Amino acid sequence: MKKWVGKALLPFLMCMVGIAAVLIGIIYFDFISERIYEDSTDHLEEIYGQVNRSFGAFVERNWGLLDGWNDYIRLNSASPETVSGFIEKEHEYWGFSEFYFLSADETGMTIDGQRDKMDLGGAWNDLREHGEPVMAGDAVSESKDITVFAVPVEHGEYNGFGYDAVAVSYTNADMASSLNVDAFAGEGKCFVIHNDGSILLSTQTGGNVFGNYFMYLNAASDLDEQKLAKMRTDWENETTGLVQCKIGGVSHCILYQPVGYQDYILLSAVPQSVVSAGFLSVQKITMNVFIVIFLLLGAAVFALIVMRNRRQSRITRTELNYRERMFDVLSNNVDDIFIMLDSENQSVDYISPNIERLLGIPAAEVRENIRVIEKCAINFNVVIPKNVLEEIPLNGNKYWECEYMHQNTGERRWYRMTIYHMSIQDVKKYIVVMSDRTLEQQMNQKLQEALTAAQSANEAKSNFLSNMSHDIRTPMNAIVGFSVLLEKDADNAEKVREYTRKITASSHHLLSLINDVLDMSKIESGKTSLNVDRFNLPELLEELSIILMPQAKAKNQKLKIDGGQAPREYIIGDKLRLNQILINLLSNAVKYTPEGGKIEFIVRELPQTAQQYVNLQFVVRDNGIGMSEEFQKNVFAPFSREINSVTNKIQGTGLGMAITKNLVDLMGGIIRVKSKPGQGSTFTVELSFALAEQDDMQQPSNENDHNRPEPDENVMRGRRFLIAEDNELNAEILTEMLGMEGVICELAVNGEEAVKMFEKSEQGYYDMIFMDVQMPVMNGYEATRQIRSCGRPDAESVPIAAMTANTFAEDVRNAMDAGMNGHLAKPIDMDAVRKLASRLISGKESRSEKSE
Amino acid sequence: MKKKYFLLFMTLIAMLALSSCTGGKSGGDKVTLTLMGKRSDLQKSYMTSIFEQYEAATGNKLEIISYDDVEYETTASEKFANGEVPDIFMHFHNADLNRFDVPNNFLYLNDEAWTDDLTDDARAYCEDKDGNLLGLPYWENSVSGCYYNKTLLDSLGLKPASTQAEFDVLCQALAATGYTPICWPASDSSWMIQFALDPIFADNPELLDKINRNEISYADIPEVTDMVQWVADAADNGWFGSDWTEKGWDNISPDMASGEAVMTFIWDTWFYTDLEKGNKYSIDDFALMPVFMNTAENGTYEGGNLNMMMVNKNSEHLDTALEFLAFCADKKNYNVAFDGISTVNCFKGQTTNIQSRMVTDEADSIEANGRVSTAASRIIGYSADDVVAAFGELFNKKTDVAGCVKLLDDYRIAEAVKQGAEGF
Repeated sequence: MKKWVGKALLPFLMCMVGIAAVLIGIIYFDFISERIYEDSTDHLEEIYGQVNRSFGAFVERNWGLLDGWNDYIRLNSASPETVSGFIEKEHEYWGFSEFYFLSADETGMTIDGQRDKMDLGGAWNDLREHGEPVMAGDAVSESKDITVFAVPVEHGEYNGFGYDAVAVSYTNADMASSLNVDAFAGEGKCFVIHNDGSILLSTQTGGNVFGNYFMYLNAASDLDEQKLAKMRTDWENETTGLVQCKIGGVSHCILYQPVGYQDYILLSAVPQSVVSAGFLSVQKITMNVFIVIFLLLGAAVFALIVMRNRRQSRITRTELNYRERMFDVLSNNVDDIFIMLDSENQSVDYISPNIERLLGIPAAEVRENIRVIEKCAINFNVVIPKNVLEEIPLNGNKYWECEYMHQNTGERRWYRMTIYHMSIQDVKKYIVVMSDRTLEQQMNQKLQEALTAAQSANEAKSNFLSNMSHDIRTPMNAIVGFSVLLEKDADNAEKVREYTRKITASSHHLLSLINDVLDMSKIESGKTSLNVDRFNLPELLEELSIILMPQAKAKNQKLKIDGGQAPREYIIGDKLRLNQILINLLSNAVKYTPEGGKIEFIVRELPQTAQQYVNLQFVVRDNGIGMSEEFQKNVFAPFSREINSVTNKIQGTGLGMAITKNLVDLMGGIIRVKSKPGQGSTFTVELSFALAEQDDMQQPSNENDHNRPEPDENVMRGRRFLIAEDNELNAEILTEMLGMEGVICELAVNGEEAVKMFEKSEQGYYDMIFMDVQMPVMNGYEATRQIRSCGRPDAESVPIAAMTANTFAEDVRNAMDAGMNGHLAKPIDMDAVRKLASRLISGKESRSEKSE
Repeated sequence: MKKKYFLLFMTLIAMLALSSCTGGKSGGDKVTLTLMGKRSDLQKSYMTSIFEQYEAATGNKLEIISYDDVEYETTASEKFANGEVPDIFMHFHNADLNRFDVPNNFLYLNDEAWTDDLTDDARAYCEDKDGNLLGLPYWENSVSGCYYNKTLLDSLGLKPASTQAEFDVLCQALAATGYTPICWPASDSSWMIQFALDPIFADNPELLDKINRNEISYADIPEVTDMVQWVADAADNGWFGSDWTEKGWDNISPDMASGEAVMTFIWDTWFYTDLEKGNKYSIDDFALMPVFMNTAENGTYEGGNLNMMMVNKNSEHLDTALEFLAFCADKKNYNVAFDGISTVNCFKGQTTNIQSRMVTDEADSIEANGRVSTAASRIIGYSADDVVAAFGELFNKKTDVAGCVKLLDDYRIAEAVKQGAEGF
């Protein structure tokens, strides 16, 4: 409050001083004007008083002259020449127009005898009846603007003309010059008028067109009836007066004063500006001095105010500059944008400069038009809707969030728009704060994605368990059920064989399911790695043919393998995984193609820009049952199997295609499927492989392997095997099964015992060792390494085969690295045991023979 | 009664005498005279009256050849060019008359008996610069001057002016009263300029000669510039009123009759033919004073512009044509024709016409300051339309006084060149 009073006091005081100065000025000028008017009118009255006196003297002089001349004439009346000469001289001296003898009948005769009819009007009566000297206008009937002065005389006679008065006449022009009214720059009009306003004579420059000045004032001036009546009364009462009026819009001073003879009045009309001209110049000088002083004082006060305001505004400006710079620096270092809008027209009063960095729009463009921000907006057109602004009450705010894209970089940012409606120094403004919420938004998105992923994983786990429960229980049900039936029908050999066959089939299916699950699990957990090595592509195709041709033949299908379009022989890749992919695809083709169907397997090379790589396309096409469009979308999802009358009869884990897809992904390739129900399916796999040098591609020929005779079924008969197995049940099964093959088995319960038994045995005592991997005390790998390194001659050659539930390729590789010669997966497949045993024993013997 | 019989007898004798004279000269055959004039001019009552009187008295016929006013000059000059010159040709003594090769086509009438009966003003109007009488004036004569509303002026306590200075004071005094001092219809004011130019050239015949020989121009005559300056000042002083630039001929009557304007430069017959009746002021309220336009200290009046009857000197009926003019100039005949017509006398013997009080009251002033119409009739290339056009530029502030004078010269010279005047 005090501050306000302090701020307002000075201007208030200055206003008061200014008003006081103006009032003093007005009063002063009124006073001066009044004084000047009084002085002017005094001046006017003085001048025309002098004129009036001069005129009176002129009249008196003429009358006096006439009296004197009459005496001279009367004395010399006998000598007209003398009289004529005298009058002529007087005429030249005094400047009158004519001298007249006036007879009793109002006839005038000039000195040279010319007679004129005279008309002195009312003056004639005064002259004749009252014997008074008179003055009359237009008294000579034949002449205009003539004034006559006459005096009565005793009756006389001149040249036979009897007369009772003598007179002289003057033209008005001569009269005017004698009245000497050149004052007021000749702009004053001077009239000798009768008291009714009719004009006797005028001093009007250039002549007189006024007949009755009262009538003219009545018509041309702004005098009202009251003032006119007063003036007329003054004239009749022979009273001096002065009035001011406007004639034709020009202010005039009208002065009238009685002449003193008859009813004559001397009237003067002078423009006010002329009357006051001299005084006005003084007034003007005074006014100018006053104005100059006033202006100087005003200028000084104004300068003081300006300087004070400038100092104040400089301080304010500096402070504002500091604030603005600080705010600019601040806003440049944060990701929030600040905008100030005018409430009236929404013009931009301020925009923080960081908008160009954050949204790619120059601040100047935004300053021109706030709407340019809209081109950065995503999913909405109007950034700051006008109706929204108008809805915000004063001192209220409103906020929402929206996404923007940087105009240059395309970077997306989330902003929380908060608009405050406030009054700043009585001016309503909108403050827009665009607060950066990008990190928060990204975190929310990640959390949401994680939540979704967790929910998906949970769902997948539930699905997996549900599927596993179903898929495991199905073969288990067969095994358990047929085992019960086997016990019941143990005496019926036919049924025992049938039940045993079904139990075996179910067991194989269960085993396949477990293998796939484990394989899938390993791939998805990222533990699967590719065993990249050079391999022979034609060989792989040959092997596939060997594996799949029998299955196709069994279903009377035509399987065509066309590898001719892939000229490369040696490439570098994971042969095992490629094999797995292709077997999965081809097995499915065989499986889902009805008997007599056709299956094509085509390998072709795709264009490749890099010379050291080759892109291969593997196409498996069948004319089998095909897939619905809906199922094709999930064909690579785990446990996905299309349910229809055909597939229900076909066993499958539903993991094959998922594994295949994962393997293809692992190898950096792509897999596509095209299918139509009832028309067949086409799977296309495209993979990139490095090319192997041709020279280095000489692989040890496995021709011998191919030519190797089928293992003799009796190769194990009579042999002695060391079985290292900690699980008593597994050991018994293996012992029993090998016993059925004529093998003599000795059992060690862990690796250490196996090593000790081998070391204690005689040279060549054991023909082969089956080594479990995971065993207490010492695992199979360690046991193998100790056996191989125990120093006995047969320690290096004795075949050792891993017999383990660890069935992955890494497990195989680990087994080989430990010094083993082969790998058998549990559960034990006797066919596999036979083949392996036959290969290893035969190989050992072959090497022994060569060494010998 | 005796007097009446005597007059009837004398009339019959005169008719017989005239009839026998005409018949004698024409070999006893009735003659048909051709007479060419403007249609509206020939329809004037005094013209039809004299034609009827002539045909009745002589038995001769008049074949009237008339053209519309707007095409008269062009059509008539074409006829002349084709040799179709009428026996009698009617035309005003103005610049357009030069189209008709006066010296070769028309007979000078200096020696005709009736010339003594012409008033000085009428004769002066009809004479060429060499004093040759070109035709018989047969028209309403008038006096042009400054006609003012005397009733109004008296009521304002004002008097008419007798000098240019007084006139200026009068205009100023009138303007102060709120009345329009001078009714000046800008679009139809050519005659006003014509009045102003009369004193310059009528009082200084040598100037007229020089300007007609193209030895000097208006710009070389200071009085012309003074006149234009006065008009410009009068306009600026408001002496023409407020909306005068929009006014024309039709505005003069209501402005004067209503008293809105106090004075105008016009002619006396206008009050009988054009001043609207029933308004505030009538003809009785008006009086005459000279025109003051800064070219004559004591002002000027202009005599009438008269239609003349001119005789084809090459006519085969020349004698009959001259007899026709004599018939028209006969006191008895023209008094019948002009009976009741408001006109100033063209003939000294005119008694039946009506003479304006306004004119007769100022007979002395007219005698002192009257001038024959000179500018319009004697200045080669003078054109009323050109004058209006030049002053229009001045009034619209498109040019100044000097520019206006130059325009007057340019238009005049161009017209003179067009007419093929010698020296241009």
